[in-house]
This record gives sequence, structure tokens and C-alpha cells, in this order.
Amino acid sequence: MENRFVIPKRLKMISLALIFIGVVIMVYTFITQPNRAWANILLNNYYFLSLSIGASFFIAIQYITQSGWSAMFKRVPEAMMSYIPFAGIIMLFLYFGMHDIYHWSHEGIASQDPILERKAAYLNIPFFFIRMVVVFIVWSVMVRLLRRISLAEDEYGGLEYFEKSEFWSKVHIFILAVTFTFASFDWIMSIDSHWFSTIFSVKNFVAAFFHAAVIITLVVIILNQRGYFQSLNKSHLLDFSRYVFILSIIWGYLTFAQFMLIWYGNIPEETAYYDLRWNNGFRWIFYANFIINWFIPFVLLLSQAVNKSKNILMALCILLIFGQYIDLYEQIFPGILHHAVFGIPEIGFFIGFAGLFIFIVSKALAAAQLIPTNHPYIEESIYHHVH
Amino acid sequence: MIKQYVVSIFNDEDSLISAIRQAKKDSIRISEVYTPFPIHEVFEATGIKTRFTLAAFLYGFAAVVGVLAFLQYTAVIDWPINYGGKPTNAFPSFIVVTIVLTILTITLASLFTFSVRAKVYPGKKLILPDKRSTDDKFVIVFEKNGDDDFTNNLVNMLLEHGATEIHYKDSETLNQYHNDEETPTHN
Repeated sequence: MENRFVIPKRLKMISLALIFIGVVIMVYTFITQPNRAWANILLNNYYFLSLSIGASFFIAIQYITQSGWSAMFKRVPEAMMSYIPFAGIIMLFLYFGMHDIYHWSHEGIASQDPILERKAAYLNIPFFFIRMVVVFIVWSVMVRLLRRISLAEDEYGGLEYFEKSEFWSKVHIFILAVTFTFASFDWIMSIDSHWFSTIFSVKNFVAAFFHAAVIITLVVIILNQRGYFQSLNKSHLLDFSRYVFILSIIWGYLTFAQFMLIWYGNIPEETAYYDLRWNNGFRWIFYANFIINWFIPFVLLLSQAVNKSKNILMALCILLIFGQYIDLYEQIFPGILHHAVFGIPEIGFFIGFAGLFIFIVSKALAAAQLIPTNHPYIEESIYHHVH
Repeated sequence: MIKQYVVSIFNDEDSLISAIRQAKKDSIRISEVYTPFPIHEVFEATGIKTRFTLAAFLYGFAAVVGVLAFLQYTAVIDWPINYGGKPTNAFPSFIVVTIVLTILTITLASLFTFSVRAKVYPGKKLILPDKRSTDDKFVIVFEKNGDDDFTNNLVNMLLEHGATEIHYKDSETLNQYHNDEETPTHN
């Protein structure tokens, strides 16, 4: 069996073409509608960053629980997390679009606005970028470290690399818990700078983990259909579906909890957030968000037969790609543009970033053995069998 | 009516499973299997299909519909109260109650369904053909059908698949142990 992923020429061409089309549309949008362009940059970069973060968390979870079943697929999330440094560089460009995205960044606004005046010690441009740089450096270092240990294990073997990975996974989870909170508060929540929600970062973290699990599943199934991962069996598929299933429930729980408390409390400071997301054409997105991200996966994956079906699982994963987009669209767009807009710029930005993500991830996937040979649980993973 | 049983003892999991598979192939009815720990292959090998998950789903579905209808009836139709200007049909706040009551309903209904189907109830007399099946032995119990050839073939098959002991018992002696006469105590 071929243990190296070879990037198909067509995939490379397609990803480069996507990047090219994306860049053309981006340039055009920046000239015609800069604030819409910045909203798209933030959304799409955060979208693929969240997949990377979720993937790194997925690996860390597998290590600290010493899960055997997933050892074979470890390279897929590993490749996905290699996008983080690139996301960091793109995120830094927000410096030029601050005023289009973040209301609080305007000169002198704090003195007219008592709420923003109180928040000014935290929400100011220099500190915002200091946090951003720190967060990205920490993430990039952690991700590189995990990857390096994993590659060293391939080369030298032995249990010590597994133990190292396990230790650094614990550190990584701890770091993520803290840094991701700041990151999601800063980049997403501060768009609506008067509003706050304490459940916000947990909700977004679960969304990231949820959709990363979806993409990992999708990539594994696609690779299997291309002739890699020949030992993928129904038990693996069942385990992947369980991740998607339970995470869709947690996502639904947290998202609904945030909405329900605000709806029930009915305090104007808080309801303003959902008022914006209920009117001006955003209402159908509100419903679509729950239907796609919770209702459809929940109902479909109740059945074990569906859990083990590659085709249905793949269709569901593709649907959930849009799920994460809708979730982020609902969080980012109303605060910046105030009207529901969707058109060629949105599609163009998305395919541009998707092209970049595919390009980087496929490159990282091809850079190492697809199945880690010296992982202590590799046998267990290959012959994984649950009833 | 007294039933006659063949009790076969196995030393390990693999021979147990292979014997069950063979019995299934020869379409011999297995009356019970006793193992020290749960073995999923037993279900697979015996080909028993459970509709338990379907039952649980139906309980859940019925509970969701029932609870929402109940809340709708009490809060909107029968006794509408104005809570600080909230609409009486406060659907989002019904959801929480629905989730909790649905979980309760599924749990209890599944428990009772299981008790009824498996004939397990408080005060039930323990049936344990061999005490060692709580320790390190694996036991399959077959029912004799009165045909000696059938029994002989069965016993041969079991020995072939690695049975270490065969005991013949009937419904009265099923709970007695060949190695000690002490009745089991179960706390």
C-alpha cells in the first residue's frame, strides 16, 4: 500500500485556480466596497483558522485520552493545523481594515460613549494587535512542536515520543482554552462592541471543533475513495460520526443557551444583538443555522446505518461546510454591514481562501507518511473494531 | 413441565464465539449464554437483532410531542398568565423543560421496557447454571429436544469447538453446581 500522499496534479491546478479567481474578486471588491471586503476577509480567514484550531484540538484530545482508533488518521488533522501561521499573517492585515470592521477602533469614539470608554483599556488598537501577535506565536509554536514530535516518532520510534506528545497535548489544550477566549472575544465579539456574552468563546470553540471533525471526516473519506487509508472500516466511520453527532448536540445546546437567556431576560442591551440578527433579512440565516448545524446532523446520525455509510456521511459533511459559514456569517456580517448581502464577493472570497487552505493542507499532507508507522496504537487503529 | 438442558463450559472467549457461530450455522437454538464480562460478538454471532434503539427513539419522539403539547395546553390554552409582557406561547423557554422531561421519559421507559423484555424484576430468583461464569468460565446453555442424536451431535460439536465440560441438567437442577452444593447468595 502506498503510504505517501501524492498531490494529484489536478488538485494543485484547481487550488491555484481557486486562489487566482479569489484574488481577482478580492481586488475588485476592495476597490468597490472596502467594508464588505474586510468583513469577508475576517470571516473567511477565521473560518479556516477555526478548522485548524479544531484539528489541533482533535489531535490533543486523541493523545490525552490515549485513543487507539484514530492513530491512523493523525496526519490529516496535523496537515490541517499547518494553516495556522498563514492565518496569522492574513489576520495582521486587519490593521488596515480596523475602521471598517470594528466600531470601537474609531478615533475619539470612546469619549462619546460611556460603555466604550470603560472598555477602552482593553479594546484599543495597540493592545488588540499585541494580543493577536502573542496568540498566533503561541499557536504556531505549539502546532509546530506537536508536528515535530510526531515526525520524529516516525523516524526513530519508541514510546518516548508518544509520552512527549501526550504531555504537550495537555499544555496545548490549556493554552487553547485561554488564548482562544481572547481571540474570539477580540475578533468576533468586539464587532458588536456594546454587547457581550460569557458563553461566546465556548460556543465558538465547540463550533471550531465540530467543523474540524467534519472536515477531518470528509478528508479521510475522500482519501479512502482515492485509494489511501485502505483499512478504513465501518467502526472508524462510526467513531467519526459519533464525534460529529455529539458535537452538533453541544453546539446546538450552547448556541440555544446563549439565545434563550437573552430572549428570556429581554434586556435591551443584550437583545440589541439578536434584534440586528432578526431583522434586515437575517432571519432566515438564524433558522438555517439551527437547521443545518444541529437539526439535520442530529436526526440523520441517530441511525447506526447512516453512521456507517460513507456516501451519506460525505453529503452531510459537505452540508456542514456551509453550516460553519452560516454560523460565522450570522456573527460577523450583521454587525459590519447591517444588511444581509450575499453575492459574487462572498463566493469569491470563500473559494479564494478555500484554494489557499487546500493548497497548504495538501502540501503538508504530502510532506510526511500518511500513516504514522511508529505510533504505539497504530495496530489497534488499523484493526479497530467495535461491535 | 421439566425441561432438559445441556450446559457447556468454555475456557476462553474465542472458543465460545466459534461454538456459538457453529450452533447458529446448524440452526440450533441457544437458550442462554453466561459470560464473566460483556462480549459484543455474542450478539453478533447469535444474530439477535434488538429493536431497543427504535423503542427508545419512539419514546423520545412521543415525549417531545407530549411535553410540548402539555406546555402549550397549560400555559397558552387553559391558563394563560401575563409574565412581564411575555407572549404566553413562550416557545424558547419550553425547550428546556422539553429536553429534561424527554431525557427522564426515555430513561424510565427504556428501563421498564428492558425489565419486561429481559424478564428482570425486583425479587427475581437468580438463575446461574455455573457459578464459575462469574469468574473465568464461559457458559452456553442449550435446551434438549428429546432426540438423542441431536444431543450427541450437539455435544460432539461443542467438544470440537473447545468445550471443556458438558453437564446435563433439568429445570430443577439448573441452579445446582456440580462442584459444590451451596446455593448461591446474591447480595
